[in-house]
Amino acid sequence: MRGVGELISLVNEELGMALRPADADSPLGALPGWDSLLLLRLIAVLEAATGRPLPVADVISASSLAEIHALVAAE
Amino acid sequence: MSGLREVRELHAAGQLAAAYPRVRTLLDRLDADRLAGAGVILSRLAPGEVLRHHPGTQVVRVTVSAGRAVPGAVVAPLAAEFARHGMLPDVRAGEFNGWVGELTDPSSPLAAHRPDLALCVLDPFTVFEGLPQTWSAADAERVLGERLDLIARLAASHRQQRPGSTLVLNTVPLLRHHAQQLLDLASRAELGIAWREFTSGLLRLSRPGEGVVVLDLDPVTAAGARADDPRMGVHAGSPLATSLLAGYAREVAHLARALRGDTKKCLVLDLDGTLWDGTLDADGPDGVQVGAAHRQLQAAVRQLGSQGVLVALCTKNDEERVRRALRAHPGMLLREGDFTTIAAGWGPKHEALVRIAEELGLSTGSLVFVDDTAAERDLVRSALPGTAVPALDAEPALHTDRLLADGWFDTLKLTDDDRARPERYRRRARRARLREELLDHRAFLRSLDVVVRIAPATAPDLPRIAQLTARTNRLNATGARWTTAEVTDRARTGAVLGIRAADRFGDEGLAGALFIRPEPVRWTLENLALSCRVLGREIEDACLAALVAAARDAGARQLRAHWRDTGANAAVRELYLRHGFAPERPDGRNGRNGPDGLWVFARPTAAPQQPPEHVEIDITMQATMQATVEEGSCAASGN
Repeated sequence: MRGVGELISLVNEELGMALRPADADSPLGALPGWDSLLLLRLIAVLEAATGRPLPVADVISASSLAEIHALVAAE
Repeated sequence: MSGLREVRELHAAGQLAAAYPRVRTLLDRLDADRLAGAGVILSRLAPGEVLRHHPGTQVVRVTVSAGRAVPGAVVAPLAAEFARHGMLPDVRAGEFNGWVGELTDPSSPLAAHRPDLALCVLDPFTVFEGLPQTWSAADAERVLGERLDLIARLAASHRQQRPGSTLVLNTVPLLRHHAQQLLDLASRAELGIAWREFTSGLLRLSRPGEGVVVLDLDPVTAAGARADDPRMGVHAGSPLATSLLAGYAREVAHLARALRGDTKKCLVLDLDGTLWDGTLDADGPDGVQVGAAHRQLQAAVRQLGSQGVLVALCTKNDEERVRRALRAHPGMLLREGDFTTIAAGWGPKHEALVRIAEELGLSTGSLVFVDDTAAERDLVRSALPGTAVPALDAEPALHTDRLLADGWFDTLKLTDDDRARPERYRRRARRARLREELLDHRAFLRSLDVVVRIAPATAPDLPRIAQLTARTNRLNATGARWTTAEVTDRARTGAVLGIRAADRFGDEGLAGALFIRPEPVRWTLENLALSCRVLGREIEDACLAALVAAARDAGARQLRAHWRDTGANAAVRELYLRHGFAPERPDGRNGRNGPDGLWVFARPTAAPQQPPEHVEIDITMQATMQATVEEGSCAASGN
């Protein structure tokens, strides 16, 4: 996954959201249509896409999509 | 384009609600992960938005309560599984650990949702709450016993307080990491026993048709669904695995379908490649092989047939050759007589299915079509959207799993009447042959010796009458689907009359019901449900004529009759009109004069129609008095 933009496209497609690149740093709770269960689905989607397990505790406590992207990229 | 991609594009374009009837097909062949993805998208749909585009969509109101499981985690799998069956769930998820309050408090927001299905998701963590910090098998046994008592009280209170709603419980998988915490094998065995006793106790709470159903999740986990997700449990507080929730939601959708009475009636099987290996036409009767996989499928088919599923054959072959092979092939478990009908020929299969449905008096929506050839399945899927087509693949050993995967023939309660269905259809075929022989239709009817008895339903009749309201479509006056408890209630507050019919080919048993509110001046027929099996013998006309006469003889001046357009029951409206009923029109406009599209028809009870002369009918309002039968009989003949 190259940039946070790619993560946002994935979120839009997989979770049926309509986010813009500018939403990368917004708190997750402030994203229109977001709920915490979507994060669980996102973890499954990201693990399938990257073929690697993610550090679930860190992803759960991440505050924005940019932070999640950093965790995915760091693995 | 894959079905999931199309669902996503429809959602992104804001067209998913408008396209909802098509979603069912899009989900048809998705694997588990793609289906989960589609569920996430579908759970974003507002039911009201779908209804605005498609007011006829079958909505199922659902609430989700849970202990340590996250109620919201069930919403997306439910959205996917209900959509697979063309239904639309309207879900309210409860609070974390809110199950006891939500299920007992009549003023909870979940109660206000008036659920058809009140789901109570039971999980292994909630079951084990209450264990001391270190525990023995005896502690576990005690805690399990307490849990079972609590759940039994919830079930009893639900049955009492919320008629018309079904509480859905589930058995709970024993997790390996719970069992393995007991080190000695004797203790582990004790835990296993206590757990199974808890499971048995749960299953004993099941009262299908009376407001409580317990879904057995053992077969779901045995088929490969992992039960828990330790990572999501520990870090995100969502301890049940998505695979278990998906399997659970699938069973809930099957239950919702069975509650609606949407049970398939006929299994249509291909022959070459499906019931044996090889093709009869090319390989000859000695060249086709019935292998172990084919025998397994045939044994399952026979098992379904023993419970009233009609079995038909649809094959591209010469009919006489097929019949000979069915009689003579040494490896076959299914024989010629096991098939209610055999459609052999060279035309397209969807046309053969239409003929099979017509011959059996069913809609093509009552058929399940099993064929190993993908092209035939695709043809039937596109030509007959209501017909269920399990997705077989090239491996015959998996055919039985695939046939049974979607519970097409599941029913709340199997009656003797169900088991007798194949024999009834054989009678029906004999009747059809007689009709062909006797060209004069009236002469045919007279030769049948039709006898109809109408009398108040007795207690043993009530489950069958509930089933009739659930399963009848063409002759169901309002489309109302009632549980046994609701029928019982109606029998208490009004009158529920059972209709029994027989002719010289055999006894049809309890084939219909009249729901009546008898008042001194006016009787109201609040619903009428008559099985399609009696069609073509003017039995519905005889019943209505007899009812008008019975109301008159009881002193009522008017008979009113309810009707609601379900899209399938125009025949009832025509029946009313044929007997001199007219819509009441207080608004002076279109006769659509009640709430929820309810039409009220009425006629004076004076001068009832004569019942058809070939039907011998009697009607009684009192179950026990023989004298009344004769009186009713007299009334029925219009004297």
